[in-house]
Amino acid sequence: MKQIALYGKGGIGKSTTSANLSAALAEQGLGVLQIGCDPKHDSTRMLMHGTWIPTVLDLIRERGGTSLTIDDVVYTGYRGIRCVEAGGPEPGIGCAGRGIIATFQVLEQLGAFSADVVVYDVLGDVVCGGFAMPMREGYAEEIYLVTSGELMSLYAANNICKAINRLTQRPKCTCRLAGVICNAKNIEREEELVREFAERIGSSLVAYIPRDRIVQLAEVHKQTVLEYAPDSAQAATYRTLAEVVLKNTTLTIPTPLEMDELEDLAFKYISI
Amino acid sequence: MNSKTSHSSTYRYEGCTLTGALSVTTAVTDGISIIHGPAGCAHHNLSLIFATLLDQESEPLPALCSDRIGEQEIIFGGEEKLTAAIRGAVRDGYASVLVLGTCVTAAIGDDIASICGQDWPVPVIPVQTQGFLGGVFSTGFHNALSALAGLTPAIRERGEEQGEEPCVNLIGEKNLEYEVDENATEVIRLLDQAGIGVNLRFVRSISTGEIATLGRADLNILREPSLATFGEELQQRFCTPYLDGFPVGLGGTLRFIREAAALCAVDGIIAIEEEEAFQAQMLGRFERIRGARVRFSQPSDLFTTELADQLGLIVSSDGAPVQVPVPLPVGTTGIRRMLHQWRRAIDA
Repeated sequence: MKQIALYGKGGIGKSTTSANLSAALAEQGLGVLQIGCDPKHDSTRMLMHGTWIPTVLDLIRERGGTSLTIDDVVYTGYRGIRCVEAGGPEPGIGCAGRGIIATFQVLEQLGAFSADVVVYDVLGDVVCGGFAMPMREGYAEEIYLVTSGELMSLYAANNICKAINRLTQRPKCTCRLAGVICNAKNIEREEELVREFAERIGSSLVAYIPRDRIVQLAEVHKQTVLEYAPDSAQAATYRTLAEVVLKNTTLTIPTPLEMDELEDLAFKYISI
Repeated sequence: MNSKTSHSSTYRYEGCTLTGALSVTTAVTDGISIIHGPAGCAHHNLSLIFATLLDQESEPLPALCSDRIGEQEIIFGGEEKLTAAIRGAVRDGYASVLVLGTCVTAAIGDDIASICGQDWPVPVIPVQTQGFLGGVFSTGFHNALSALAGLTPAIRERGEEQGEEPCVNLIGEKNLEYEVDENATEVIRLLDQAGIGVNLRFVRSISTGEIATLGRADLNILREPSLATFGEELQQRFCTPYLDGFPVGLGGTLRFIREAAALCAVDGIIAIEEEEAFQAQMLGRFERIRGARVRFSQPSDLFTTELADQLGLIVSSDGAPVQVPVPLPVGTTGIRRMLHQWRRAIDA
């Protein structure tokens, strides 16, 4: 079983990338489980054709953790992809990080972690130990950073590198950085910038996903790009990403940049 | 009050902010303390309070409950559960509800003050406690005193609330110490000699309604100097001067009477003379240990030096080991109790 996780700044397109990646993997005949680890619980919505599936935490709250079955928490979507949403509290209350930990405990008890590929779509930043849990406890073994060329996006990606770096100091930690995915925002020399960032942190750029209106069109039709426009160039990009992810064996312990280095890097690629 | 966080200074009366605050709030006889947190926090604290009450031969157990925050409340927030617990306490007829937070509810950011600020039919008072976050035992102790003092309207100038007879408040008695009532009795005896009464023991076995009289005293007597900040706070709110501690030492006890009498505008001369005679009589009972060699349990200070001089004790490393209590004994009768123990140690 291959277990990958996509981390990155909020709003950068992790869920879109995750869903399309899962769809591309499923096209290859693989059994895919996608787990949304974000209180927004919209990770799997395009795979479920717009349906908001019940979140694990809502179910725990309503019925208690012990009475749940696997059918209560796992929903089958596009091309048989099994979808789970962790969920979380309303913004501003409670502890979403603890919610992630509780979700994984329930999924473990239910034996839900069975698939050829498990794709974890994790909240924008590793804001507390709870969101590091998929990495720390060996669920997510291959981490992909999703970023654009914007400084704040790179900053968030760099912070996740710090978390990976710290976690890999622990003897039992198996997570490694598998690569950087550039989800473009149409910034000048964006691919070059993100490629250099990836190399500077000791990894590589595994995919450059151009900005394309087809993504928004697919979303308003409540579908992934692979389902809505299977012959589009964007769909081909996601299929290429899936092939890279499947074949990727280059896993590294990243070396995060200092803030000054990050700013200098961003400055280097901006025309003034 | 010991506010060190080192384990080497930990002893029975230490703990987190919650324990410190509960040592105050549970002394409101008709109120209930609600711990907003896991049941375990209430269990551990109630165990300590129960053990202390057994030592003090006091009863009944104070009203103390937990809203039993669990995993779900930690994830989704515990404010609803706290609201339900307060509603239950109000329904049960308590005159006041004192709400205390814990580490867990502080970490997840529950807004206790806003829930307490809703329109309740009885006072629902948030006490600033966050378990071990944001302070230690003494922080919670001070915060609880301060929260309860908020039940009393402020006074703009002296005389607005005072009665004809001079009286004082005893502030911040340590309800978890063994001799809490014996110490208060001694202070009350000393004040009585000067014709000064006690208005309120804040907070020791008092009702919610009595708290409203906090501003009526001519003088606040703090249990110990570490409460000086709170003494200042009360002075600001009620224009009440304060003495910063219960009397300690022979000379200190006489000085206490003199200062209390002066601040209450009464003549304390006769009271001081009576106490001097009482002290001489008391020391006479221990004449048999005069000239004994002793070794104190802590380095010599003004307190031990004074007693050694008065009793003609010889302080020596090969002397009989005698214990100096922490905190130091209160007044003359406190010293008398301690000297009984010293005499047993010397005779052993």
